[in-house]
Amino acid sequence: MTQLDHRGIVEVSDGGVSVELRGESMTLNIGPQHPSTHGVLRLVAQVDGERITKLEPNIGYMHRGYEKLTEVRTYAQIMALINRIDWVSGFANEVAFVRAVEKLMGIEPTERAQMIRLILTELTRISNHLLFASSFPLELGAFTPLMYAMRDREYVLDLLESVTGGRFHPNFNRVGGIKPAAGGGKTQKNVSLDLPAGFYAAVESAMDRIERSCEELDELVTGNEMIQMRTKGVGIISYEDAIAFGVSGPNARGSGVPIDLRKVEHDLLPYDGLDFDVITQDGCDAFSRYLVRIGEIRESVKIVRQAIHSVPAGPLVAKVPRVLKVPAGRVYVRAENPKGEMGYYVVSQGGRIPYRVKIRTGSFSNISVMSKVAVGLLIPDLVASMGSLDFVLGDVDR
Amino acid sequence: MTDNPSETAESPLEGVSALESVSSLDVFAADLAAKVGAESWTADNGTVHVYVTRDKWVDAAITARDEAELGFFSWLSAIDWSKEVAVGEPAADVDNLEERYEVLCRLSSPVADTAAILVTTLAKDDARLDSLVPVYTGAAWHERECAEMFGIDFRGHPNLIKLYLPQEFEGHPLRKSFALGAREVKPWPGHVDVEDMPSVENVEAAAQETDGEEGS
Repeated sequence: MTQLDHRGIVEVSDGGVSVELRGESMTLNIGPQHPSTHGVLRLVAQVDGERITKLEPNIGYMHRGYEKLTEVRTYAQIMALINRIDWVSGFANEVAFVRAVEKLMGIEPTERAQMIRLILTELTRISNHLLFASSFPLELGAFTPLMYAMRDREYVLDLLESVTGGRFHPNFNRVGGIKPAAGGGKTQKNVSLDLPAGFYAAVESAMDRIERSCEELDELVTGNEMIQMRTKGVGIISYEDAIAFGVSGPNARGSGVPIDLRKVEHDLLPYDGLDFDVITQDGCDAFSRYLVRIGEIRESVKIVRQAIHSVPAGPLVAKVPRVLKVPAGRVYVRAENPKGEMGYYVVSQGGRIPYRVKIRTGSFSNISVMSKVAVGLLIPDLVASMGSLDFVLGDVDR
Repeated sequence: MTDNPSETAESPLEGVSALESVSSLDVFAADLAAKVGAESWTADNGTVHVYVTRDKWVDAAITARDEAELGFFSWLSAIDWSKEVAVGEPAADVDNLEERYEVLCRLSSPVADTAAILVTTLAKDDARLDSLVPVYTGAAWHERECAEMFGIDFRGHPNLIKLYLPQEFEGHPLRKSFALGAREVKPWPGHVDVEDMPSVENVEAAAQETDGEEGS
């Protein structure tokens, strides 16, 4: 540790008299149990005074071995498992996996199921970004936005719960379509209903709330001088770094990478007919990443409003064999998870369980960039940059 | 893929009923395969696989990044093709299976929908591969994960220590020979979680049940 090229000098102001002290490099352990690390993440930092000279994220405290567990579970059982990868956006985790299985089996999900999947995915994105809007200012010392964002997130979670029966872990997708809704009930012909009564009206009023919530957040957070001073120019991820490290999702778009898988992956969900913009910012800093997410909440509201008017009638599930045997083959399907690119590489050998599933998550690559970003930051700025990456440890460790 | 003369039966995918093959995807895959000097390629299920030999691994990644504009490093992982599996279902056609590790690396475009998976094959007794870290900085964590989970040695990696597991951990959990501890202790599906509340009737009923089993 003494070999580090530390600056050697720190300025200490003491009662108006400035003295210069020779800084001594020391190792600082941040975490694993630290409120600003969103779970159990340990950061080993070499610090010279308040300034970080080297940072190594130490992960694995939440490693649950999902890739191994998928090798002893049927496809339907895996669906329940992968809800827990990124536990604040459970529904979005399912979609890429179920599409991967459907592609291998050659099954097209019904149009109605696809549109409902899209609506629920976007509601999940809103709830995820609202959680970010509550935790990020909190890490900077602003407590009030948490109250506002958490309150409005409940309206979205209520919607998700009314359809799927679960607030966080819906487990709602089936190969070929979706389950009948929890609150749906049955018609006289014994056909299950998918959406609970009054769902569209409830969505409209919830979206009104979310739009107001965005305005409130703008007043409370975006325009706040303190927040801007803490986040502008902090935690710079350059365009080149974002690409080389595989940083994806809102973090990449905050560095000017103009890709959104909703616009690119055309056979995943029917986004093609819907009008929405890809939000990008060129600041590359923590504030830009915040702005991207607030912008994405507004875009998701736009998408949901359009989508509820274009849900086609029809069956919930396509014709699917009773026992799911997936033909041998390999496929990689990725989706725009709220955290970034989430993908599943599924290798089937023709049986009821996969031979191998590789799970690609957004947070894993997003966190790996920290060792480069953190060099030269002050420790409070490290907290700001970590918070702006919006990671979840379950998504990092899997 | 059928009109590609270099197509070999090396991949275990032969005979797969693909969805409809997208012709532009085939063109892209064939073009990329020619650029990186690949042995073969497939484009089933909308997923492009380009098979390269081990010595061309790093060069292929550089070519894909610089000439095919696949600059976004998505992920890197491996598959253990093994005749005997400790847990799960074995591979199809086990008798003709060639035991090997396959290392896969997915690269995609940061602005468009083009993407490809580079695949290389390693012998079980010689699981070494050159590191991609000089080409893609983000490969560092993926290779560390792959090294601890499969026991593959990435030569030239700056810091190939364990990522998830404790440094003193022995074994490579994602190898097919690695048993799953939970299944060893309690075979699937385990016991019924919910037990009846203890009461006089329950205890008596349980006692009668065990008596009956012994009698039969």
